[in-house]
Amino acid sequence: MGISSTIIDRGDATGGQTATPSSPAPTGSRQTQKEATRLRVIEAARELFDTQGYQGTTIREIARHANVSVGSVFTTFASKGEILSQVMQDRLDGLYAELDRVMPHLRGGTVDRLRTMFAIHFAFEVQHTRLFLAHIAAAYDWTLPEAAKPMGKNTRLQQIILDALAKGVGDGDVDGAIEAQEIIDLLMAAYAWAYRLAAWNGADAAGMTEVMDRQIGLIANGFAPR
Amino acid sequence: MKAPTRRAIAKQQTRAKVLAAARRLFSEQGYEGATIRDIAAAAGMSTGAVFANFTDKSDLFREIMLTDMSALADAMRSAAAGAPSADQALLKMFMAGYVFYQTQLPLARAAFSVGWSPQDGPALRSAPPVQVLHELLLGELNRAAARGEIGADADLDLRAQMLFEAYLSNYPQAIFGGWNLAALEARSRDQIAILLAGARRN
Repeated sequence: MGISSTIIDRGDATGGQTATPSSPAPTGSRQTQKEATRLRVIEAARELFDTQGYQGTTIREIARHANVSVGSVFTTFASKGEILSQVMQDRLDGLYAELDRVMPHLRGGTVDRLRTMFAIHFAFEVQHTRLFLAHIAAAYDWTLPEAAKPMGKNTRLQQIILDALAKGVGDGDVDGAIEAQEIIDLLMAAYAWAYRLAAWNGADAAGMTEVMDRQIGLIANGFAPR
Repeated sequence: MKAPTRRAIAKQQTRAKVLAAARRLFSEQGYEGATIRDIAAAAGMSTGAVFANFTDKSDLFREIMLTDMSALADAMRSAAAGAPSADQALLKMFMAGYVFYQTQLPLARAAFSVGWSPQDGPALRSAPPVQVLHELLLGELNRAAARGEIGADADLDLRAQMLFEAYLSNYPQAIFGGWNLAALEARSRDQIAILLAGARRN
């Protein structure tokens, strides 16, 4: 009965940084300054990650590029992995806002809707496939704090899939007895694979979509009503 | 056959010592956290001596992984032998993998970190011992097709690849979610059933 379960959306992206109710609120200007530093670091990191890759970028370079001290980078982010996580999240926020708008209007059955949804992802991310792989790799990095949200914890995408499956149960093209999380995990694995295909084998968005379409079709055999 | 020279034996021992130290440090500090300096110190030798045997950290890590992958392939092969159906053979293969890594999940975690890395991932992924795992899964599907259990035209190569990804996708549950073997088995059984559903001949 996994289909009716919901996924709690992520909270504040900075997790542990949030002030507890009992602690006094920081002064306005210090808070503003901290936020300004944060934005500058993210912007600098985004540029450097895109031009020289994640592994090839150091915290020192990010600090220099953002024109802040290395120390102040570390008061805001625990590690490079956390910066990457924030960069990805900011970009994906735009994508998910778009998908929230588009998904209710998509026509066709569940398989078609899933295919379109992933194709939108690939068109959006195709310029950043290597960064996306680094994002996945970072999930296994010892230095990444719990607060960071690596790829596997992308609950927005999981929720969209869950909603699509739930609608499919209502429409009669998805078996109501399936364990939704199992379908979600298989789709997420296929999704991640498409990025490897792009980053390592040079597939473009169309190539990623093509292989994803085949995989969705194959997984759909497993969730079709019997 | 000529007996190995004393020098060759010494070199072999040095490599073994470095590999043992590296395995321990990768497990304790992850791939990113372990440095060649630490590994050399733990092995009781100079960094120069390490570099005389391995080109860099990724070379060292790959060597450890490839040794494990070969052992894992053997374990999967014998686990699946004699299974009556593709579902059961595949499940036994998955489980052989989870049992193999049960006591060394930190190393598995490091392997995922390297395997997804834009730089070091392709070399690890395309290494022959990793390809062997994929071929084991494909071989099982081909045998099932020969038995008439599944269709020979049912995209078996893609299915084998997806089975391999599904097998890998459960490691995060074990690494971060603390899933035990029973939970992994239940999940794997369902995944295999889903991925074979469209291939079955009824």
